[in-house]
Amino acid sequence: MAATSDPVEHMNTRPPADNEMAESIASNDDALIDCLREGENDCYETLVRQFGPGVLSTAKRYLRSESDAHDCFQETFIAVFQGIDKFEKRSSIGTWIRRITINQCLMKIRAHGRRHEESIEHLLPEFDENGDRISSVSPDRASAKIDPVDRSRTKRFVRDKIDELPDTYRVMLLLRDIDGYSTKEAAAIQGISLTAAKTRLHRARSALKSLLEPILEHLEYHADM
Amino acid sequence: MLTCKEFDDFMVDYLDNGLPVWQKFMCWLHVKMCAECAEFVREYNHTIKLGKNACDAPDAPVSDAVPEELIKAALAHRKKK
Repeated sequence: MAATSDPVEHMNTRPPADNEMAESIASNDDALIDCLREGENDCYETLVRQFGPGVLSTAKRYLRSESDAHDCFQETFIAVFQGIDKFEKRSSIGTWIRRITINQCLMKIRAHGRRHEESIEHLLPEFDENGDRISSVSPDRASAKIDPVDRSRTKRFVRDKIDELPDTYRVMLLLRDIDGYSTKEAAAIQGISLTAAKTRLHRARSALKSLLEPILEHLEYHADM
Repeated sequence: MLTCKEFDDFMVDYLDNGLPVWQKFMCWLHVKMCAECAEFVREYNHTIKLGKNACDAPDAPVSDAVPEELIKAALAHRKKK
């Protein structure tokens, strides 16, 4: 295939209006999909190079090991190559690939079993016998030290705390709050009821809040970074 | 008025604007009347925002380059037509 027929090269260079942008993306998707279905080698390479970074970063976010993320990368593209003929274009190809990546990650997490399923009860809100909230201000909070200018360290700290959550809750939090799926979609992806998903999400957020609490006041300065 | 525990049970739907009007009003009223829950909601919302920002940030693993051998290995699996 000639380099000039690379679908990515047909993208408009000026900033298009929203509807033009959507049409442009759809048009690029169509060209890429047609080319993949024709079995063009260059298009497979374009696909892997264009969507590979997103696949790898998603895999790294969901999986705890670099080697699992690399396996997931391979398995995702195998599934994409095998499924391209059946792709119905109900979403963009990027959205479809991201969903495949997440499914591959979840299969891998399930295969690892309940290795990271420690209890989070101690991180959840507490209530007295009247149903009143018991204050949970950490005694360490006032003495916690973080450099408010060190944003990079702060972000790493937050990511590390997300990683401390058991997989059940971490996955729910990633799907809903980081990857932007609705609670209903996140429930469907995990194969659980909507009620169970809401409970899981609330527990995940509450537990993360507790983990961040010792320095939350300082981190709030970074909420809009 | 709702207890804090009852409000806590409604929190996900309340913040998603997914409650019927009456329940939404009861939750709103509870937050107005309860300093502990108002503080909890404020920090809970900050937690959501911090999580999103930490993972969306340019220095998150998002910008990782894909090792060339990984790309080549993926392409080697491609379906032969």
